[in-house]
Amino acid sequence: MQDVIVVGAGVVGCAVARELTRYNLNVAVLESGSDIAEGASKANSAIVHAGFDAKPGTAKARFNVLGNRMFEDVCRELKVPFKRNGSLVLAFGSEDEAVLAELKARGETNGVPTEIISQDELRRREPNVSDKATAALWAPTGGICCPYELAFRYAENAAANGAEFFFDAKVVGISGGWRLECEDGRVFEARAIVNCAGIHSDELNNLVSARKYVIEARRGEYMMLDRDEDGTFSATMFQCPSKMGKGILVSPTVDGTVIVGPTAEDIKDKEDKATTYEGLEKVKAGARRTYPGLPLEKVITEFSGLRAHETTAGDFIIGEAPDAARFFNAVGVESPGLTSAPAIGVFLAERVAEALGASHKKPSIISKDVSWWPRTRDMKPEELAEMVERDPSFGRVICRCEGVTEGEIRAAIRARVGARTLDGIKRRTRSGMGRCQGGFCTPRLIEILSAELGLPPESFLLSRKTAPKALSGMIDHRRSQAGDEFLDVLVVGAGPAGLAAACAAREAGARGIIVLERDDAPGGILQQCIHNGFGLHRFKEELTGPEYAQRFVDKANSLDIPVVCGTMVLDISPQAGGDVKVTAMSPRGGLRIYRTRSVILAMGCRERPRGALMTPGTRPAGVYTAGTVQRLVNMDGIMPGKRVVILGSGDIGLIMARRLTFSGAKVLACVEIMKKSSGLMRNVVQCLNDYDIPLLLSHTVTDVEGREHVTGVKVAKVDDNLKPIPGTEIHYDCDTLVLSCGLIPENELTKKAGVEMDPKTRGPKVDAKMATSVPGIFAGGNVVRVYDLVDWVSRDSEIAGRSAAEHAKALRG
Amino acid sequence: MKMICINCPKGCELDVSRGADGAVVVTGHSCPRGETYGRSELVNPTRMVTGLVRVAGMRKPLPVKTRTPVPKGKIPDVLFALHQTTVQLPVKIGDVIIPGVAGTDVDIVATANM
Repeated sequence: MQDVIVVGAGVVGCAVARELTRYNLNVAVLESGSDIAEGASKANSAIVHAGFDAKPGTAKARFNVLGNRMFEDVCRELKVPFKRNGSLVLAFGSEDEAVLAELKARGETNGVPTEIISQDELRRREPNVSDKATAALWAPTGGICCPYELAFRYAENAAANGAEFFFDAKVVGISGGWRLECEDGRVFEARAIVNCAGIHSDELNNLVSARKYVIEARRGEYMMLDRDEDGTFSATMFQCPSKMGKGILVSPTVDGTVIVGPTAEDIKDKEDKATTYEGLEKVKAGARRTYPGLPLEKVITEFSGLRAHETTAGDFIIGEAPDAARFFNAVGVESPGLTSAPAIGVFLAERVAEALGASHKKPSIISKDVSWWPRTRDMKPEELAEMVERDPSFGRVICRCEGVTEGEIRAAIRARVGARTLDGIKRRTRSGMGRCQGGFCTPRLIEILSAELGLPPESFLLSRKTAPKALSGMIDHRRSQAGDEFLDVLVVGAGPAGLAAACAAREAGARGIIVLERDDAPGGILQQCIHNGFGLHRFKEELTGPEYAQRFVDKANSLDIPVVCGTMVLDISPQAGGDVKVTAMSPRGGLRIYRTRSVILAMGCRERPRGALMTPGTRPAGVYTAGTVQRLVNMDGIMPGKRVVILGSGDIGLIMARRLTFSGAKVLACVEIMKKSSGLMRNVVQCLNDYDIPLLLSHTVTDVEGREHVTGVKVAKVDDNLKPIPGTEIHYDCDTLVLSCGLIPENELTKKAGVEMDPKTRGPKVDAKMATSVPGIFAGGNVVRVYDLVDWVSRDSEIAGRSAAEHAKALRG
Repeated sequence: MKMICINCPKGCELDVSRGADGAVVVTGHSCPRGETYGRSELVNPTRMVTGLVRVAGMRKPLPVKTRTPVPKGKIPDVLFALHQTTVQLPVKIGDVIIPGVAGTDVDIVATANM
């Protein structure tokens, strides 16, 4: 028997649970999902609202204003990033300006300071805003905070103070006193219940109270833009609100990305979190009103969330049900729910404690322990060095886009309310949330989850865990032999480009050379390209990828070039003296600084993720890029699925169609939006035609189905403008969707080093010597532009190698 | 018979037919390999097969290939033979993993050092 059971582990439920642990009460939290914050807290605008627009006198206004004031303290205690960046509501013409005046007056009544600013002032503060915006309302107390991060840390702190969490516990029955029955047969008893069941909170209330509520799911679709867009706007940019909500906003996030959305659409199905073609078009159009320069190529993902809109009262319902003693509600908590959560938590905990006659714990200060992990990317170099020395796993970068280390991921799994799924890791650490959307780190995350939890890797391909079975340990091929001398040439990346460049540099007379590689073995992406077809021009024979790579590894060895694996280059900065400083991190070496006369960039490229394609539908497990599938199958021995549809006809997709067929899967179709395959004809012949796999040209995937895991896709023909033609849909039952829609040079380091970029190739501008705009920095291979043939990669990288050697020799004198 | 040569990324469109004397005539190729391919594709189409075999005590598989192309019709048998095979480490590139796979005289060889 518990004292209190909180139903629902969203941000409100977790806040209530944490505040309840201040009292002498046994607290349990039941969650129907498999993790914290799986409902509205997972997908919303991440805004801490100032509170000027809530109707005065409502619960929304009251908790919004109270909650907003609590954010600094709560976030400091729980170590959650929070920024009071302020909000602007834009007016487009005189009608809107009248609304601004109304909002300002409402803000005064609610006790929220605001100020109307002119068009000039607006343009001065936000240079990227549309020049059609004529004025704006400035609310300095608006802020931004990550909703699920706040929920996770509330939950961790609640658990540190004794609260228990139960997952996959869907409450289906409740009887007086209180006794809760779960779908899987578990029964929980408690003296008091707090209903924080979000979108389903009406259903739970209606089982016990005669005052019935009706919650409608109001779906909001969003797009997320890459970190490159950080700084586009400093404030959260709203448009004038309508009956359906606060309209489409454009806002920075605490994580440095930019969020755009939401739409507002009342839907029947309370679980339907699919994005739609129409919805995303609305988001684009709405966002362009505020931000005409919205760069669609910077979109990294789209998602949708459901707001719990209560239709009978239209307000938050917070407090004890009038006819059910010790049954407390937090019903209809839609926007501003995140903002209100801290205040709702304190308020409901007080009411519950009062009803149960509970006193504060003594000492009254609850544990500050949030048992959290340090974020290595936010740490100072010396802090990080110390951390890596204590635990080398903090030196192994797993997610290169967001800079998340193995140590952080292990800590996220080992936390009190730890991650159990790929999604759980993603949301706790941001691994897989960056621009490649898990393309590179997914196989590594599976490996870590599998080792930490003792479950087979396949179980993490589904969104929930399955039967437990032990697994053998991890493989480690690290080889470390870094030198301390002043180098002639430092090469970033040990794929074919980096190795060819290093060898050519040596042959051209460079002395100190080192190659730094983030993977655990040299060879780059060729390691996973086990098919043949490489090396016809260079070696006059047809090699497989690993064979081709090995030729260069052997050559580098014979030329005595050290290749240091497991090492991530974090920064490249040209120095005043003409040399270059390179900062790198590895589990063994910790943080290390290299000084070198020349640098060769050879980081390769990455795949376009699903988000960049804007395919509508749900976001289930089972959608992978072709390269991720290639790594899983060819290197990790993991089959992602049995029935596969491939979107895009890039070479890796075609090659994987054959590989998956060889490995026992049924490849149903390869779907290409253009009129011809983007891959080579030879691959269409030998990978598709040989195995009777249909290639559907001028077709695209118009819907992805499945909640937990992919269950099917819809494919339609497109017209000359690439728009789907209604009535041409074909449905495929499948468990896997593989994306093969192009590659993008990987140039985050390049940009940070101040190298001039070429917007066409998305790589650095280089001259005939493969020199970039920064003296001493050269580039070769797919980091410059995406090549068709590895033979040309090694050829051009050798030019970079020779040029780098010449540059170093000249500097050396 | 029209076909696309798969020897290199160029993908030449070949026209392969039998002349009056029964000899195979290939046109459209731009190198000798194309001619050979066209002839073989008409008479006895062959393919290189690359694949994976299990490694004892490890999840990571070993990549392998047929040393030379095998008749197309033999591909399922080759794949079955790979599936039935488990190797012991260490293995070097070029090591024979299955001699004369699936009743052919073509060996399966390793394509990576492990």
